[in-house]
Amino acid sequence: MRILVAEDELDTLRFVERGLGELGHNIIAVANGEDALHHGLTEALDVIILDRMLPKLDGLSVLKRLRAGGVTAPALMLTALGRIEDRVEGLHAGADDYLIKPFAFSELAARIQALGRRLAPTTVTTKLHANGIDMDLLTREVRREDKAIVLQPREFRLLEELMRHAGEFVTRTMLLERIWDFHFDPQTKIVETHMSRLRSKLNEGFPHDAIETVRGVGYRIRTV
Amino acid sequence: MRLLPRSAARRIALVAFLAYAVAMLLLGSAVYWATHAAFARQIDSSIEQATLALLSEYRDDGVRGLSEALATQHGPGPIALGTALFDPDGHRIAGNLDTRAPALGWQRIVFLDPLEGPDPARAQTTALAGGYRLVVAADLESLESIDSTILGLFAAALIMILLVGLGGALLLSRYLRRRLGNIEATAASIMAGDMAQRAVEGPADDEFDRVAASLNAMLDRIAALVANLRQVSADLAHDLRTPLTALRNQLELMRQDRGVGMAEQVDQAVERADDVLTLFNAILRISEVEEGNLRKAFTPVDLSALATDLSETLSLLASDGGRSLDTAIDPGLIVTGDRELLAQAIINLVENALHHTPRGSHVKLEVRHANGGVALEVRDNGGGIPEGDRSRVQQRFVRLEPARATPGHGLGLSLVRAIAEAHGTCLFLDDARPGLIAALTFPERSLS
Repeated sequence: MRILVAEDELDTLRFVERGLGELGHNIIAVANGEDALHHGLTEALDVIILDRMLPKLDGLSVLKRLRAGGVTAPALMLTALGRIEDRVEGLHAGADDYLIKPFAFSELAARIQALGRRLAPTTVTTKLHANGIDMDLLTREVRREDKAIVLQPREFRLLEELMRHAGEFVTRTMLLERIWDFHFDPQTKIVETHMSRLRSKLNEGFPHDAIETVRGVGYRIRTV
Repeated sequence: MRLLPRSAARRIALVAFLAYAVAMLLLGSAVYWATHAAFARQIDSSIEQATLALLSEYRDDGVRGLSEALATQHGPGPIALGTALFDPDGHRIAGNLDTRAPALGWQRIVFLDPLEGPDPARAQTTALAGGYRLVVAADLESLESIDSTILGLFAAALIMILLVGLGGALLLSRYLRRRLGNIEATAASIMAGDMAQRAVEGPADDEFDRVAASLNAMLDRIAALVANLRQVSADLAHDLRTPLTALRNQLELMRQDRGVGMAEQVDQAVERADDVLTLFNAILRISEVEEGNLRKAFTPVDLSALATDLSETLSLLASDGGRSLDTAIDPGLIVTGDRELLAQAIINLVENALHHTPRGSHVKLEVRHANGGVALEVRDNGGGIPEGDRSRVQQRFVRLEPARATPGHGLGLSLVRAIAEAHGTCLFLDDARPGLIAALTFPERSLS
């Protein structure tokens, strides 16, 4: 993917540039708002990462002008810790996701991946299929290789989230935001607890774990 | 040159003393002038009466009768009067007043007192038929003596007042300096590093004692804050050292092993770094909530629905840990607040109960009407918290003895306390006999 990164802290910028580069993305790194606006308006981009505070032109203004200029690439806003207002402002200005600084790189990578996928034409799906698991979102039926599995509503939502992003890592924070609507870390094992229930129901009678876990990164359902 | 002393106490004393002196001078002058004027009027009226009496003699018996009357008239009145009758040539033909013929009307004259020599006097001269003149005069000596008596008295009084005032001023200034010196000395020793020093609070409960008491209360508060800060810094350093040391050792081990089980070791290292970050996030979150500008983002929150929703997850956590979670949640209770913070409070209270009770304990989450508000209550049947520690456990990093050995940072309840305060209420801890009750009571939001 072609990703614009606008961040004035050079350490963070280099680290993001290097990390995303290693994942095979093509990075345009800029350190101020004017450059971000210039590249945003002139280049074809898949994802835009904007720091909320940027010299010359702040991230919010850059995003508003990009949106006004017809740029539809999904944008991720980086904000300082705990500024609830910033998150709301960012979403109003046209951001698709936000991340609180300082952030773990795996979190950024997972979110970029998810944002990039939004580019694909979104059809209304009622059935999901991955790794031998079938979900019917209307009848709320779940099967693994034709074995019916009964899930609690929250377990169903967790599995749905993983299935929609099959092949990608979904982080704990993303699950907290999307399923519980918590934009903070409650410092508790609620995700892990539900995930372990889901996992044991899915895996019962199967030799392979349906859900892959990478500590400190997140969960993923393999596509193969 | 300084007109006023540098010491405020002395200035106050000096000003008070000067005010006394000025008041005394004004009073003295007023008494002097009033007495003087009254006495002068009395002299004049005596002269007038004597003149009238003599004139009636004159009308009855002419110059001869008047002369006789003058020769005999020596009534010992309150005021010594002198009289004289002058012929048209200006010779004194009768009377005892040894003076030359004055002009007509009221005059100040000088007569020759046979005992004392020339003396001033007040005289009224009346013209008679044939160029004769009658003079009636009063010696002013008595008036002068009254004047000088009054002046003398007041001068003495003034000197007394000056002495007493000066003495009082000095005493007052010493008293003020002594009382204020108490506070000054306390401040000085605190600046010199003796934080335990306190001002002496006298038994009188006067202004100085109250200032000393406020000062001491302020010092106690500051001392508590400083002690808390010191404790927090020490605890923070301690809590950070543990995961950082583990991380460091982990990295060292990885260098030695060079690739053996690398993935797992890296995972462990990441986990340890996350521990440190988790701690910092928790601290920052408490500060953020304590700053208290969250109120403007408050919305109506269905506390019943939130608690029901969370209890589903929390009861799983409870049963994983070998404890049980029951709920008693009345439906439809709405409060004004921040949904995520309230969720955090519920999670922390329940987790706290699960964490600090033995296996097999029961925890109950209740949301109900209470005292015109909405009560959120978590009770357990574990060991409880001794009464003396209930406010202490709400501070950062405070962990009571049995819990010190378990993982955790002692921030859970302080975050709940901060959340409670942000919502205008407080965290109330009580004895559940046995166990602990932790309750937050919110004002209920009316649905209208």
